[in-house]
Amino acid sequence: MSKVISDQDFTHIVQLSNLEIKPEENFIKDQLSQTAEYIEVLNELDTQNVTPTFQVNHKKNVFRSDEVGESLSQDSALSQAPQSHQGYFKTKATIKK
Amino acid sequence: MNLNELNLQQARQGLKDKKFSAKDLVTACFAQIKKHDQDINAFVSTFEKEALKAAESVDISLPLGGIPIAIKDNFLTKNQLTTASSKLLDNYLPQYDATTIKKIKAAGAIIIGKTNLDAWAHGSSTETSDFGTTKNPWNKNHLPGGSSGGSAAAIAAHEAIIATGSETAGSIRQPSSWCGVVGFKPSYGRVSRYGVIAMKSSTDSPGPIAKTVDDAADLLEIMSGHDPYDATSIDEAPWKKPAPLSNLKGLKLGLPLCYFPPQIQPEVKEAILKAVDIFKKLGAEIIELSDVLDPKYSIAVYTILQRSEVSSNLARFDGIRYGHDRSFFGEEAKRRIMLGTYSLSSGYYDAYYTKAQKVRTLICQDFDKQFQKVDAFIGPVSPTTALKVGASEGQAMFGEIQDMLVEPSSIAGLPGISIPCAFDKNHLPIGLQIIAPQKREDIVYQIAKIFEDHTDYHLQKPTL
Repeated sequence: MSKVISDQDFTHIVQLSNLEIKPEENFIKDQLSQTAEYIEVLNELDTQNVTPTFQVNHKKNVFRSDEVGESLSQDSALSQAPQSHQGYFKTKATIKK
Repeated sequence: MNLNELNLQQARQGLKDKKFSAKDLVTACFAQIKKHDQDINAFVSTFEKEALKAAESVDISLPLGGIPIAIKDNFLTKNQLTTASSKLLDNYLPQYDATTIKKIKAAGAIIIGKTNLDAWAHGSSTETSDFGTTKNPWNKNHLPGGSSGGSAAAIAAHEAIIATGSETAGSIRQPSSWCGVVGFKPSYGRVSRYGVIAMKSSTDSPGPIAKTVDDAADLLEIMSGHDPYDATSIDEAPWKKPAPLSNLKGLKLGLPLCYFPPQIQPEVKEAILKAVDIFKKLGAEIIELSDVLDPKYSIAVYTILQRSEVSSNLARFDGIRYGHDRSFFGEEAKRRIMLGTYSLSSGYYDAYYTKAQKVRTLICQDFDKQFQKVDAFIGPVSPTTALKVGASEGQAMFGEIQDMLVEPSSIAGLPGISIPCAFDKNHLPIGLQIIAPQKREDIVYQIAKIFEDHTDYHLQKPTL
């Protein structure tokens, strides 16, 4: 486990996070390294035969019946969108023409 | 006494006896807000006109009929600004109410405003709010704690009768401790998360912040219950508070020695030990627990899991359906999203995320083991009383360290409460916490209630 987050790692994380980091925010990189170093403390504990707990009230496969219920109208769903077009949310193109 | 200074029980009785009207109550709360909230900054927004209008036609026979309530600004309120104290949502008018808000409205409560929090509930100070820091009513040079700092300050300053908070790891109990009010964190799943802006979904627990233990319990009754819109919601009828106890004979209370870390403020330790004496006098047996898993591991588990879940939950904020784009995230949110993305990324997932989930199992098992010996834990909520404004700046893990004594129980999904148990030499409040096994809010209530009945810390008021 690498304790210090490299410049390359940092650039990759920023990209995966879909964020922009201004040059004056670069100190965040060192803070991430410090935090990564702190959490190393967990390696003091042996967890070889321990199963992970993802959910504390141990619910599994919560289903509902396939019935149409009350939902937002199209107008209401679009009411907070900065841009809409013919009843749809308008997004940036994800495929080049 | 001004009407805004009443607790829930007194306000309900007064309305019933027609000593005053719901409008009088709402008016009194707004008078207090107008007088003091410029300094305290507990509220992000207030709804005076709507609240006064609602007061005119409210049915006071309902459980919370006519009672002014302050709502943490991460609960969605239909057509009323909901920001999570982030500029990214400074224009967001939700199209629906959170399940808890629906219940609170159906119970007749009147929403007077939305309270400040650390932006996205990331923090324990309210200093990361994009709308300014909330000040502690007991001393405005000090912090209220967080993330539900606005709600705790609003209750301490008597700007509302009751309030909602939400806790992921300390966000109800820690600000309640620092502001000298009662904060009741229910078991995970007891109160629906639907419509509460998601932070760390596997521990997020909405709950009440109030002036007394009974007030908090009464609001918890209203907020709780199964919700089909929240798949992790406990499949049980709404929680009902049990009858109070007249003594604690036969009850074993555990005092975890590692909840008194070396950096603890000596007055906090003394206050808890004095509370221990009160519990002994009430008949409880006190058992020192010397083998509880060190909270330092919970800090690390919480840090990994919180960041990981945040990176996923905040991915939805893309400025397409509501709010502004991702450039509006503040520094704290960016830091958390990035660490979470890192711990979930290929090559690091097992070392961080899976490892933390395994240690979570150890934390749960440790509680199970301890609860074989005792009925509940008692201890301090926070190692210190309220720190000064500015204390969190530049500290990437401020909240995690402040919340070290509440993180283990949050990670395990246990119910807990913070109640006032003393003041330090600067007259800042000290909070006592009580933690019980999962779904045992009844024990938490009974122990807290009898302590409150035998002390008067909850009756003291700050000089604003």
